[in-house]
Amino acid sequence: MTKYIKYVDVTKCDGCRACMVACKNWNDLPADPQDFQGSVQSHPKVSADTWNVMQYIEHENGKGDLEYLFRHSACFHCTDAACEKVCPENAISYSKYGTVVIDQDKCVGCGYCVQNCPFEVISLKEYVDKNGDKYRKSQKCTMCTDRLEEGLQPACVTTCHTGSLEFGEESAMIKKAEQRVKEMKDRFPNAQVYNPQGVGGTHTIYVLAEKPSVYGLPENPKVPTSAVIWKDYAQPIGKMMIGATTMAVVGAFVTNNIISKRKALKEDRGEDHE
Amino acid sequence: MSNQNKPDVQVRRFSKGFVWAHAINGIAFFALYITALPMYTEFFDWLYPVLGGPEGARLLHRIFAVIFCTPTLIYLIFDRKGFFRWMKELVTWKKRDLQFFTEFVKELFGFNFKHVRQTFFNAGEKINSIIQILCAILIIFSGFTMWFPQFFPRAIVQWGYVLHNVGFGLGIAVIVGHVYLSVVHKNSRPGYSGVVTGKVPAWWANDHYTEWYEEEVKKGNFPDLNDPKYKKEA
Repeated sequence: MTKYIKYVDVTKCDGCRACMVACKNWNDLPADPQDFQGSVQSHPKVSADTWNVMQYIEHENGKGDLEYLFRHSACFHCTDAACEKVCPENAISYSKYGTVVIDQDKCVGCGYCVQNCPFEVISLKEYVDKNGDKYRKSQKCTMCTDRLEEGLQPACVTTCHTGSLEFGEESAMIKKAEQRVKEMKDRFPNAQVYNPQGVGGTHTIYVLAEKPSVYGLPENPKVPTSAVIWKDYAQPIGKMMIGATTMAVVGAFVTNNIISKRKALKEDRGEDHE
Repeated sequence: MSNQNKPDVQVRRFSKGFVWAHAINGIAFFALYITALPMYTEFFDWLYPVLGGPEGARLLHRIFAVIFCTPTLIYLIFDRKGFFRWMKELVTWKKRDLQFFTEFVKELFGFNFKHVRQTFFNAGEKINSIIQILCAILIIFSGFTMWFPQFFPRAIVQWGYVLHNVGFGLGIAVIVGHVYLSVVHKNSRPGYSGVVTGKVPAWWANDHYTEWYEEEVKKGNFPDLNDPKYKKEA
């Protein structure tokens, strides 16, 4: 199947926030009122009810100029997703589009994904059931997987009026991004494509005007080493160990019985000959 | 009637403080294991409804987590002498401790073996103690970071998950052997009633912890089993 990804050219963005509104609208997410952030930015970062947030960054570019940088931020949909790795309930999986989705019925609200996401885009939401009991579920951008299934593009992409957001075939999008970086090297010497390989590449790639860190993004994001040791080594080895000791005591129980029966038999015979 | 020559006199092995600390430790450990088991393996997901859903399991796990932290304090407060003897034994290793293990393997599988003279704790119990202490430290400290991630740097929380997993993974594997030896294994079974009542048969203590037993005889606390009055006529 052709691999489709979301393309975000931050230099074409005019900060209109239509992507945020379209996301709330399509995904039926409630308003998430915030205090004044000290800038035009509405929310500090993505949250359980706000799956994408427009960042507004005032950046001094080193030549004494101020750059006003925008970035549409949301889940990256990693090819090698830490959240999927650490989820103890297999509630997080890759869809056939490569998007990373959370099965709300399986989610137990443990928050392992929240703590292990290299981009910190997952949040827990607290709900109250009809008995008044609280429960939690993990929430994040789904890349509108429900729309993809209907042959539609993600809501944020459809609504973007500047062409900053596009959804298309992977190689075409990467080519486009590389071309775009070349075009703006004069204006933005630090411009680059952000498609981090530490997580196997992402299903949302960026054309960034500045270094990733300027946008608060990790320069070399990867699945945490701790998550690899935990899930690929500690957990399977732990299960093997309890299996091994259980087998040892079962073995001991069996040999004890056999040996004591033999002893008893010998004693009996001994007595018979007396 | 293999015990016919063994006098039924009992001696005190464990203080009330130890008995309580050990029981609370054991109960809390298994409660913690069971309340987290569906997170460890999907095979036990059916435990969620039993435990009141993921939220119920989480609450119980936190309650027992607090209880799990108390046995050390109980032991320390109510039997300070016993606690420090335990600590001292854990760091004392001699040739007899190594000899113990070769005999222990024979004993475990039911072959003929001879008792190697041991002090209050035998080498196997010491290994068990050391592993459980290390595991408890790992589990408790990493548990804090998992319970209160907002107070810790992200990397510490992430490593906390690994250490928690290592701690209980190793802990339960050893506990399977620990429980088997006391509850099922015929030679060490008096140890089980001993850890519940605090008292064990004198002959058993003399066989299994000879050095300790003889010390207590010298101090005049325990009866000397070589004394003819404890040898039954038969």
